[in-house]
Order: sequence, then C-alpha cells, then structure tokens
Amino acid sequence: MKTETLAMVLAGGQGSRLGKLTKQIAKPAVPFGGKYRIIDFALSNCANSGIMNVGVVTQYQPQALNDHVGDGKSWGLNRHKGGATILQPYASVDGEKWFKGTAHAIYQNIDFIDRHNPDYVLILSGDHIYKMDYSKMIDFHKETAASLTVGVIPVPWDEASRFGIMNTDLTNRIIEFEEKPKEPKSNLASMGIYVFNWARLRQYLVDNQAKDRTMLDFGHDVIPAYLRNSEKMFAYSFEGYWKDVGTLESLWTANMELIDPTHELNIRDRDWRIYSRNPDTPPQFLTKDADVVNSTITDGCYVAGEVDHSILSYNVRVGKGSVVKDSFIMPNVTIGSNVRVEHAIIGEDAKIYDGAEIIGKEDEIAVLGYEEEIGGRKDED
Amino acid sequence: MRTKLAAILNLTEDAERLQPLTEQRPVASLPFGCRYRLIDFPFSSLYNAEVISAALFISGSGHSLYDHIRSGSTWGLDSPIGGGVFTHSHIEWKWEIAKRENIDVTYYDNHRGYVERANTDHVLITGSGILCNVNLDSVIQYHETKGNPITALFKNVTRASLPEETNVLRYVVNSGQAENVTKVESMNEVPMDAPKVAAGMDMVLMDTEFFLEYLDYADENMKEVSAATAVAYALKQDVLISAYEYTGYMKSIEDIQTYYEANMDMLDENNFNSLFYRNEPVVTRTRHGAPTYYGATSNVTNSQLASDCEVYGNVKNSLIFRKSKIAEGATVSDSVLMQGAEIGKDVVLKHVIFDKKVRVEDGVHLEGTPDNPIVIKKNTVITKENVKENVQ
Repeated sequence: MKTETLAMVLAGGQGSRLGKLTKQIAKPAVPFGGKYRIIDFALSNCANSGIMNVGVVTQYQPQALNDHVGDGKSWGLNRHKGGATILQPYASVDGEKWFKGTAHAIYQNIDFIDRHNPDYVLILSGDHIYKMDYSKMIDFHKETAASLTVGVIPVPWDEASRFGIMNTDLTNRIIEFEEKPKEPKSNLASMGIYVFNWARLRQYLVDNQAKDRTMLDFGHDVIPAYLRNSEKMFAYSFEGYWKDVGTLESLWTANMELIDPTHELNIRDRDWRIYSRNPDTPPQFLTKDADVVNSTITDGCYVAGEVDHSILSYNVRVGKGSVVKDSFIMPNVTIGSNVRVEHAIIGEDAKIYDGAEIIGKEDEIAVLGYEEEIGGRKDED
Repeated sequence: MRTKLAAILNLTEDAERLQPLTEQRPVASLPFGCRYRLIDFPFSSLYNAEVISAALFISGSGHSLYDHIRSGSTWGLDSPIGGGVFTHSHIEWKWEIAKRENIDVTYYDNHRGYVERANTDHVLITGSGILCNVNLDSVIQYHETKGNPITALFKNVTRASLPEETNVLRYVVNSGQAENVTKVESMNEVPMDAPKVAAGMDMVLMDTEFFLEYLDYADENMKEVSAATAVAYALKQDVLISAYEYTGYMKSIEDIQTYYEANMDMLDENNFNSLFYRNEPVVTRTRHGAPTYYGATSNVTNSQLASDCEVYGNVKNSLIFRKSKIAEGATVSDSVLMQGAEIGKDVVLKHVIFDKKVRVEDGVHLEGTPDNPIVIKKNTVITKENVKENVQ
C-alpha cells in the first residue's frame, strides 16, 4: 500500500485546564458549538483537504472519543482504501507502549505508519478550532523541498511570549525556535501542525530510540534536533480563525463567537463543512412561551423559556420562566422552570432543577460538570 | 441467522389527491415533520424490532425513495447476513404489460422469493400512508398469544379524524374475550359524526405458512398483495383474525388536507410526544448541517424547526424544514415549509404548504385558509407579479 500523505491526529491529551469538563473525557471529545466535538474540526479539515488516511492517537480517557470517531464514517473516512483508525497504547513483547509525548506517540505507532508507507506524515492536534486546507500546506512543503514544514499563525505581539515562536529568514526558512520567549523576535506561533518527510523523521525517531530515548516531544526535542542538523525547515503561515480552546474562558468565547453567522469561522459554509456524528432526534420545538434571540439551537431541543445569546446543543430542555443567557449548554441537559443560567458552560447530561441559578461572569465562567445536578428535585412533570 | 419477520411494504398508495406534492414522489417519500419522510415510520418500526430486511413494492420509479433509503443502513437493513432492502419498482406498469401480453407477472414470484429466503416465522404487510409508530415486538407477542394465523392492526378513532372520502377500512371488532375482526366495511358509509369507529391501519402480521397460502390465492385471482386483501382472504376462509388495538398517534394521509393536519398535529405536544418521544425512536437518514440560528429580530413561537435554518423574522404555528431562511420582517404562520425555503423581507405567509426550495421575494403576501391551504410546487419562485398565478 502506498499513501502520499498520512494524517496523525494527536488526541490523547487531557486538557487539564478545562477542569471538570475533561475529568471523564479527553479534550478533543469535549462538545462544541451545539452538535460538534472539538476533534471534528481537524477530522473535517482532513476530509475536506482530501486526506483520507487518518490515524487518531488516543490515550487519556479515550472511550467517548473512540465512540465518536468510530470508523470515520461521519467524515466520509470509511473508504475501502484508507480511512480513520483509532490508535491506542498497547502492550507488546517490547513492553507497554504508552505515549510519553507527541513525538513518542508517533514512534510508538511506527508499525501503523509503515503499513501506509507514506511520503509525508501530517501531524495534527485534535483540540483546535479552525478551518484549514492542509493540501495547500503540503503543496508548499513539496515546493520548498522541506524536510519539515511547521504550520504557524501570526499572533498579537503582546501575546507572543505565551507561544512556541518560530523565527524565520526572508524565505520563511526556520532558523530558530523559542518556546515561550520573554522577548519574542517574531510573532509566528506554532500551531502544532507539522508536515514531515516520513523517511527522515522515522530515521530520527529510530536512531534516538537506540541511543538515549529522549526524543519525546516535537517542540521540545525534534525541532531542536532538526535545527542542530540544519534540516530544511519552513514555516507555513496560516491566516484565518484559529483557536486553542484550552481554558474554560477560551472554550466559552469560541462558542459565543460561533453563534454569529457572519463570524469568520463561518460554520454554515457548505463548501467547507464541519462534519460530526449527527444525532437522530426530532425537530426542535419552540413552544408558545419561547423567546429565543441571537442563539443557535439544535434538533431535539424543547424550549419554553427565554434564550438569549446562547448555544443549546441537541436534546436540551428549557422549562417555562427560565432564562438562559450568554451560555453554552451541552447535549442532553435538562433545565427546569424558573432557572437562571448566565455566563455558564453546562456539561452534557446535567440537570438544573426548578428555581436554581448558575451565574458566572464574562471573566469567570460558571461551569456545571457532566451529569451534575443542581437545585431541588421539583420537576414540573 | 433467525430473524423475527419478513416485511413487505406495499408502497402503491393512491397519490392523486396529494398532488402536486406527489408529482415527483410516491406517498412513502412525502416529507413530514421538519425532517422525516413517511417511509421513516414503518422503517423505524422495523428498526426498533431489529428486523433486518424488507421488500418494497413501488408503483413508480421510486427514485426519491431510493435516494432516501440508500443502503438501508440507517435502519439496520444492511446486514451482510440476511439483511437488505429488496426493491421492486414500476409495479403497475409491469402489471399492465403482463396483462396486455398475457404473460405471467413476476410480482407474486418476487413476494414468494423474498419470503422464502427470509425464512422467518412471520410476515408483515404494511403501507406507508398511515402515519403511526407501532411497536412490532408487542404486535408479535399479541399475535402469538392469540394464536390465530393473522393479526390486523386498528385504532379507535372519531370518524371526523378521517377524510370524508377515505381509503381507510372500517373493521368490525367483536369485543369481549377474544378480540377479532369479524367484518370489513367501507368507512365512507359511516356518518361523519360517529364518535368511535375501528379504523384498519393497513398493517397485518401473518404466520408465514398462512401468508404463502394467501399468496397462492392472490396469484390465482390477480389480487394485489396488501393488508386489505389479506384480511379479505382470511374472512373468506373463515380464519379468525386477531385484532390488535394501537393507541398511539395515527393519521391517514390521503389528501392535502390530511397532510396539512398531520403536520399541524405535531404542534400539539401530546401528539408530538406520542409519535416521537416513545421508547421506540423514529429514525431517519441524518444530514450534516449547522444548528439553526435565531437572529436578534426573530420571534418564533409554537413552531418546530429542523437544523441548518436561519431565522430573522416571525414564525408562529408552523413547521420549518432544513436549510430554510426567513428574512427580517417576514411573518410565517400556520404553514409547512419544506427544505430550502427562502422567505424574503416583509413576506406574509399564512396557511401555506411549500414543497422543497420555494423562494418568495420581498413583500409578497400569500394566505390560504385552514380548510384550503395553498400548496406551492417545488422550486417555484414567487414574486409580487406572479403571486396570483400561484394561488389556484
């Protein structure tokens, strides 16, 4: 089997800054935007870029993620040639193959990658919100005859010290890499997206494994080694909306931004769809008491209250007299009557009983975890 | 692999009174309830009972139906072991030719072949024109408990819930210990003010052995294979017919009025829950699309919408299907707008049914009445200039 490009989506991270939202599930599986999960963006980008061979590397709390990705059918990735494959750590005669870092996760799956025998391996992270045509980046990689191409995005200068920064020459060749520099020389932040020539990367990983086994992370270990050896590395600049939803505030903000149909991410674009597993639920029902503005609502919802500038994911119920404002409500949440929810993220399957309140602030988002319940049990029905 | 039953879907319903909605599609693929088609209901019954195959008999080409069903995987009908959707189209046309040329129709062999291969104890015959959500496991259990070779489904309804001229048959059910269908009559004779009458649901469950006997009879007498002729055969043979009473939501969709009423019925929570929020979900082919957006100027009450819509105007007592857009200042009430409707600014729509992809330009007013909703054909563009031609 010969594959030009194999994508490896790194989806094993915990995302500990999301607190209770990533206690039971990995960050890429966190619900997003009413009917998506975070990993849908990377997988849809693959499908839309024509990259149909995708390995999804999972490790931390993988169950929800594995269920979601399945055989990749929702993204059209269940082809007879290629498709989506879930890669989990496994035990072998060499011992247990847990992943100790991004590069190590690739090393541990070397057999899988070799089976595809790709020219290029596209490394993606499963926890960013963006729409990107990877085929253009791969074309750039071929044109520059690079050994490694790093996807970068210009960030505001005053924020550059929070990122891994690529310093480039006039031809976009990477000459220096600085992790969270105090005084950044460039504002090109690494997106954690890499195109590697597989043969070369493989050699680095295998050689190192035979020596000191320190090549664990792309940013920390692999890129510095490439620089030391003067490997040809280029920065590919991405322009457009890109969000690392690593914190509760950024997760909330990214959801709120998604509501507006004129927002640049343009989730409604039919030429670059974001695919997901589609829930099969009855249509959304807005009763005579409903008052919904500036919001998106998904099928299976029942709304008898007020919803303003919020996202209701599928199968959410909002009872009479309740007000949901500036909030992201995940799937299967039940909100009783006379409830107030403001500046909040409500986890999947949570229940908010009659009269309860969950009120956060714009810089301090209130969070109710998955299956959490709040308020007295006084259901109207 | 043993499965519960072989399903024969007789999708040759009379579509004439549903024109123009049935111009390009059989009754079975009529869109309903924002995101479904009528075939989804019998298919969901099969899905919930884990039935793995079905044979479809269709009068026309069935193109729109096949487009919806695809491999049948949505309803679990694509198992590599014994599963499948076996389709037979242009039934009426083939029949005409067979009669004219005096050759054997393959119609009965198609039935026989399917049922013999399915190798099940029971055979189900159903149509798709009667909207309902039947739990087949419960029907099978009832059928076995009663021990008769055939069970017919009925619901007690008011006569007024059916159209004056209806294809629904009246079952005479002897109540008491053994509930049996003892007689079948035309519903049209029953006065409209009758408060309770047993309506046949065009659905029967039979023992396979009895089905094959009936099939021979149908073959010899050139009868259509349907619930109605199966019941008639059983009565003729003096075979006891168990009567299974269905108590959920039911509507016979036979003309524009009943189609409109069925959709509007969904805005009553009892009907909606009875049809959709049961232990047996209604399953349809899902589509990719963003959640529906309600803009700052929108005002939507007592309505149902599917995903991927954008609403900036007013919607009241209506059902809006996928990918529709309603501009600011527009008012849509008491209407059914199928997929892809585009409603311009300040448009007023009341008591209308739009087939797919109807576009209405700014400022147009279009109002039908509850007893006579205006139906607009697929892909129509309505302007202030042509609005009168479209109201006929």
